Amino acid sequence: MKEEPSPIYGLMAEFDNPTEIVAAAHRAYEEGYRNMDAFTPFPIEELSEAIGFHHNRLPLIVLIGGIVGCLGGYLLQYWVAVIEYPLNIGGRPFHSWPAFIPITFETTVLVAALSAVFGMLALNGLPRPHHPVFNVPNFKLASRDHFFLCIESKDPKFDRKQTRQFLEGLGGKVSDVELS
Amino acid sequence: MSEISYAAPAEIDHYRQRALVIGVVALVLCAASAAIIKDRIFFSYLVGFVFWTGVALGSLAIAMLHQLSGGNWGVVIRRLLESATKTFPLLAILFLPVVAGLLFGDLYEWAHIEKVTGKEREILEHKKFYLNTLFFLGRAAFYFIVWISLTYLFNKWSREQDETGDRRLQRKLQILSGPGIVLYGLTVTFSSIDWVMSLDPEWFSTIFGVLFMGGQGLSALALIIALLVLLSKHEPLASKVKPAHLHDLGKLMLAFVMLWAYFNFSQFLIIWAGNLPEEIPWYIRRLQGSWKWVGLMLVVFHFALPFFLLLSRDLKRNARRLITVALLVVFMRFIDVIWLIAPEFQEKDFTARKLGIVMDFVALIGVGGIWMWFFLSRLKERPILPLHDPNWEDAES
Amino acid sequence: MSTKDIETQEYIPDHLLDEPTITPVIRPGHTFGTVTDKISAIALTRKTPRGWYIGFAIAFALAMMLFYSLAQLVLVGTGIWGLNVPVAWGFAIINLVWWIGIGHAGTLISAILLLLRQNWRTSINRFAEAMTLFAVACAGIFPVFHTGRPWLAYWLFPYPNTMKMWPNFRSPLMWDVFAISTYASVSALFWFIGLIPDFATLRDRARSRSGQVIYGMLAMGWRGSARHWHRYETAYLLLAGLATPLVLSVHTVISFDFTIGITPGWHATIFPPYFVAGAIYAGFAMVLILAIPIRKFYGLEDFITMRHLRNMAKIMLATGLIVGYGYMMEAFFGWYSANQYEGFMIRNRMTGPYAPFYWALIFCNIIAPQILWSRRMRNSVPVLFITALIVSVGMWLERFVIVVTSLHRDYLPSSWGMYRGSFWDWSTFIGTIGLFVALLFLFLRFLPMISIFEMRTILPQAEVKEAKE
Repeated sequence: MKEEPSPIYGLMAEFDNPTEIVAAAHRAYEEGYRNMDAFTPFPIEELSEAIGFHHNRLPLIVLIGGIVGCLGGYLLQYWVAVIEYPLNIGGRPFHSWPAFIPITFETTVLVAALSAVFGMLALNGLPRPHHPVFNVPNFKLASRDHFFLCIESKDPKFDRKQTRQFLEGLGGKVSDVELS
Repeated sequence: MSEISYAAPAEIDHYRQRALVIGVVALVLCAASAAIIKDRIFFSYLVGFVFWTGVALGSLAIAMLHQLSGGNWGVVIRRLLESATKTFPLLAILFLPVVAGLLFGDLYEWAHIEKVTGKEREILEHKKFYLNTLFFLGRAAFYFIVWISLTYLFNKWSREQDETGDRRLQRKLQILSGPGIVLYGLTVTFSSIDWVMSLDPEWFSTIFGVLFMGGQGLSALALIIALLVLLSKHEPLASKVKPAHLHDLGKLMLAFVMLWAYFNFSQFLIIWAGNLPEEIPWYIRRLQGSWKWVGLMLVVFHFALPFFLLLSRDLKRNARRLITVALLVVFMRFIDVIWLIAPEFQEKDFTARKLGIVMDFVALIGVGGIWMWFFLSRLKERPILPLHDPNWEDAES
Repeated sequence: MSTKDIETQEYIPDHLLDEPTITPVIRPGHTFGTVTDKISAIALTRKTPRGWYIGFAIAFALAMMLFYSLAQLVLVGTGIWGLNVPVAWGFAIINLVWWIGIGHAGTLISAILLLLRQNWRTSINRFAEAMTLFAVACAGIFPVFHTGRPWLAYWLFPYPNTMKMWPNFRSPLMWDVFAISTYASVSALFWFIGLIPDFATLRDRARSRSGQVIYGMLAMGWRGSARHWHRYETAYLLLAGLATPLVLSVHTVISFDFTIGITPGWHATIFPPYFVAGAIYAGFAMVLILAIPIRKFYGLEDFITMRHLRNMAKIMLATGLIVGYGYMMEAFFGWYSANQYEGFMIRNRMTGPYAPFYWALIFCNIIAPQILWSRRMRNSVPVLFITALIVSVGMWLERFVIVVTSLHRDYLPSSWGMYRGSFWDWSTFIGTIGLFVALLFLFLRFLPMISIFEMRTILPQAEVKEAKE
């Protein structure tokens, strides 16, 4: 009985130093591949550029978070001290703006920091307990000292045979990324 | 790295002469205005003197900090900082009109204790040990001796480093810079008490010295960044100043802007909340009447605007935009020094009050012109880049 | 502790001591693999040393004493502490300030040194951040229990309630609530974010099923994708940028607790920067106290080198001098202010019944650390350790003197009094030290105490070489 080759997530090439994987990613990008990703044990600035990832919305999210925290903190204090619960304390004006600055600052930082962390996780799609790339036998080493480049099957240029040849030509050890 | 000449660009001569002419004209104007505004001119002159002394002192502090911390941001501005520190002999001479204000004018109330009566007199009697003419002049002499000696040694070793490249000189500069920073902190603190805080002899604030250090650092840094960008139109800086340097300097300026705001807000909040009769009048003078608008201007243009602009990475790496922010900061430093000093003139003479503000700027330009002339002359004497700074290797990469 | 440190054995000329080639931030010869293995092995495979059990047992016993003391406090009331009029602020605020201050060095190392691109921070930031968290946890105990009814502590937060009451935002004590809870939250996030890639390493290397599951859950499916790393680095830098002013604001707000009132000796504008410097000072002393035994005990001299210890000594020296400047300003302005109460307070501090504490703190914080000016001394591990201990004691004394001397003799001589901590004050304080050390032991045992992924980045191999075309 002939077996249909089961669909795969992509092809994974394995390298053992940062220089090689950056060069490989550059080559793949030049070749026209776009749906690819690299997996490394530490951040490599050149690599995200090599796979064509520049756009990063995180600073904007954090800025918005900061503005929300700032306005929210100040308005909360204003509303409480002037509108909802005005109390004369030591003859200070209800709207004691200098005294409201410290808390405004703290809420700004708090909301901005929360947006940085949760914004990063959300944009990265984490937590995500399982992902097809974990099926690659050697992938455990991606968190130690190996560097992986994955070209995904959804890439329009992806062809199981040619892509494999291309990746092998780059000098990496290539394996299938099973879907499950 | 040795093909290009490291001599300062010839254009400096051009700037130098112009500065001298402007400075002399402005100072003559100041002297002439004394006929109309009388003692108020001493306040204006003090503004000019305090600002430019602050630039020299801030440069000294940054140069010493760079010796201790290293980092390639300092390499490109090192010679500018060093030349600024060589201006202390000139500043010592420029201090003389302040002495005249003390002796013959009404600049410092405590110098004429016999005119004061009541509770205020009691306070001045208490402080007489510290606030008296002789001790004031002695302290000023001491500050200048410390500053001139420190900068003499610093520049001497720096010159030897240029000539010989001996790495031991680096060590000597560091050994000088550690205690040098301590001396800087102490002299700046007490000189700020003497020259500015004692304008209102009843008032006191323990953060005042720190506030001055932050302000001086910012004045020096902003001015030096502006000069660096101007000079980097010409060789050799044109090929050596990289966006990365400007980026680091911009970050440093941002840090100083934030520190300045932090020190000032801390002082304000504490005094505002305490609301004590010996402290709050200082702020009442500065936050009521027309000075209120100057205060607001400081919040917006000395802190908020530069802060938000300098957050941008692209701005910090762009020479033309960075110089705009640096010049804004220099201008706001002028305003801050005026705001610290001028409201202490409390005579009812409204002509003097109004014209005095104009003369504050004229004095700033006058002292600044002379200072700039002297500074540029020192800058010309030596290569514009430190040849054997050990941080070069970093800076090159 | 052995005085023989490898680097002090042979003679190195003074002017070369700081050369990176002589004392690198990481001993040469390591690879991505060896760094990973060496650090992760402590949490995963290495047999827990007997010393760990002994140390943990002692710390745990002290932590139990803390819980007993707190239980006693709740059952009997705050009267068991030594507080009484005129000194109504005693150990609780002293220990709060002390602990929060210790925490500050952790944030400073992880955030400010990151922004300043000081890569030597990499091997000490993780446990310094852990130290921050545990110190803040210890600090938080005091104000919460000082309320007397800790189960109502949530009343401090503004929330709509049936009593139709709201907190007073003009009070610095309210600012404290916001500052400390923000600080605790942001420090925890910063720490956790830093750990995610290392959790992934531990997940991939754990042999036991439970290890795989637990570390796996904590790693949240981290797979080291280049896109993820890019956003991760951005988030980390932004957090560092936020944490830096935050850490300054926290001790500033703590100083406002004192300065916003008009008590002589407390109402001083220098307090904010001087408290911040004091906090960093005490914090670095604590990092040294912890780092020196840890590197010895776990054999981490390759990663925590003499360069780290020397740099921390320099920071201590610098911040110590700022603290000294603060004392000097207080003394000078005590006289210059011409205010009789200010003047009395300073004289009373220096010559009154608490004078021995004052002079002891001057010795501990100002005189003793001057030894760090000498390069030889900065290069001696025992000297650093002892100096750090002295500074820790000194900084506690400083807060004691500030709090107690301003209160015990106020405007009305008939209400003067003396203050000393009761047995329960001491048992609570020592108990928090036990809790702190116990948490630290757990951290050392179960989590990578050095950031593995950041150590990989500072290896020379991590550099991407120019394409050879």
